[in-house]
Amino acid sequence: MDKQQANSRIAAIFETEFEVAPDRLLPEAHLFQDLGLDSIDIVEMIGALQKEFGIQLRDSEEARAIRTLGNLQDFVFNEIVKSGAGDSPAPQS
Amino acid sequence: MKLKRVVITGLGAVTPMGVGVEALRAGLAGGRCATVSRRDEWQHFLNMHSLVAAPGPDLNEKIVPRQNRRSMSRMSFYGHDAARQALADAFGSEATWPEHFSPGRLGCIIGSTTGSPIALSQTFEMMLPDRDIGKLNAVSFFQCVSHTVAMNVAQCLGITGSVLATNSACASGLQAVGAAYDLVRLGRQDAVLCGGAEELHPSVTGSFDVLFAASARYNDAPSETPRPFDRDRDGIVCGEGAGILLLEDFDHARERGAKVYAEVLGYHTCASGDHISQSNRAALIRCLRQALESADTRPEQIDYVNAHAAGTVQGDAEEAATIREIFGDRVPVSSLKGNLGHTLGASGPIELIATLMMMRDSVIYPTLHLANPASDCAGIRHITVPVSQQIDTIIKNSFAFGGINAALVCRKISPN
Repeated sequence: MDKQQANSRIAAIFETEFEVAPDRLLPEAHLFQDLGLDSIDIVEMIGALQKEFGIQLRDSEEARAIRTLGNLQDFVFNEIVKSGAGDSPAPQS
Repeated sequence: MKLKRVVITGLGAVTPMGVGVEALRAGLAGGRCATVSRRDEWQHFLNMHSLVAAPGPDLNEKIVPRQNRRSMSRMSFYGHDAARQALADAFGSEATWPEHFSPGRLGCIIGSTTGSPIALSQTFEMMLPDRDIGKLNAVSFFQCVSHTVAMNVAQCLGITGSVLATNSACASGLQAVGAAYDLVRLGRQDAVLCGGAEELHPSVTGSFDVLFAASARYNDAPSETPRPFDRDRDGIVCGEGAGILLLEDFDHARERGAKVYAEVLGYHTCASGDHISQSNRAALIRCLRQALESADTRPEQIDYVNAHAAGTVQGDAEEAATIREIFGDRVPVSSLKGNLGHTLGASGPIELIATLMMMRDSVIYPTLHLANPASDCAGIRHITVPVSQQIDTIIKNSFAFGGINAALVCRKISPN
């Protein structure tokens, strides 16, 4: 999986789980201020990303620095690469 | 301390008859039975004998903003819709209610048997196969908690007064109305949105089924059950929906020129302290007598009894004995559960709203399916066909597992 593919799957989560229109999914968009997420959404987001990519994010300290969609895309792709999860298909939910 | 007078100024309902109070009234006026077969959905549950239910309508849940919607289950959507209806009824527009209250002076009390049975079931289905807490999501708990409807409605509407949930199974909703009455008459709130909400789930019907309290003989003829007070009654039919009323300080209502449906004159709730599932006529009699006493109303002043009668063998007989003891065979009595099924914690407020419609329209809707009044339910004035009659004062009964009893007395008044 390359980063563009990962970003597409992240975008799908934003669209389906959080009902964000695709044209608002810009890398510089702030998750809270621009995309309208809140603290509970972040918990849901972590769960959705873990399920989608088969990675563990919950205890990551780096995740606390995430502010924008671009931050999130970078962080998730790094975790995918570190875990090797991107080499296998996404787990079925 | 001088107690406030309390009036009912707004109504909202989502019932097996449809969305809105008018749909409820029209369904009852038309003598419709909302019971349908659940055979296709429930027959794969082993040992489920009752394959009938009175489902509510499917709402457009997307009209609720996502961040409110995520913590809401079907019962919260029902409660929310009914609450908005009640506010729109009381204030002309659901959005203008804050103009009429100082912060914290509007409360919200909504009861239900449990939190969402659908969410509870899904939670355990997710967690238990692997005993994995990581399978849980962040929002299902907000649907599972016992005050889920009250808190979700308050969140959606921005209510900052007293928010409570009365969870006493089939008496939940009438206890909510009674608790609202107490808060307003004590001057603690200017008004309270109050009532009950429920959603169907096989675990709910199944819980009555294992107690031999759910109707199981009419699976092939669902439109003939439940049969309150009837010789051939065989148990309840679970329903779903919500009924919400706005109870308001009489002076507050008068100052804003509100339409008034009725005044709440009195209320009582008590327990039998006797048996966990069986009604006890001595406790029921005590409950109704004390409700009448608190209303400063004599039994002969009651024009209509809206019975709890859900179609159970034991419960209907105990209620009939209670009514016979207090009212004899003079006062008209009917149960609406033959039409609506048993909406459990929502039944008290839904049937109270229907009773207020009867009061307004001077008509008594009959007990549907009461073809042959049972000998153990005799000696009271059963209404089996619609009766045109002025109704000024009513009593509404709700009884629940745990020996919990509630009764509310209302009287028609003019605001001026």
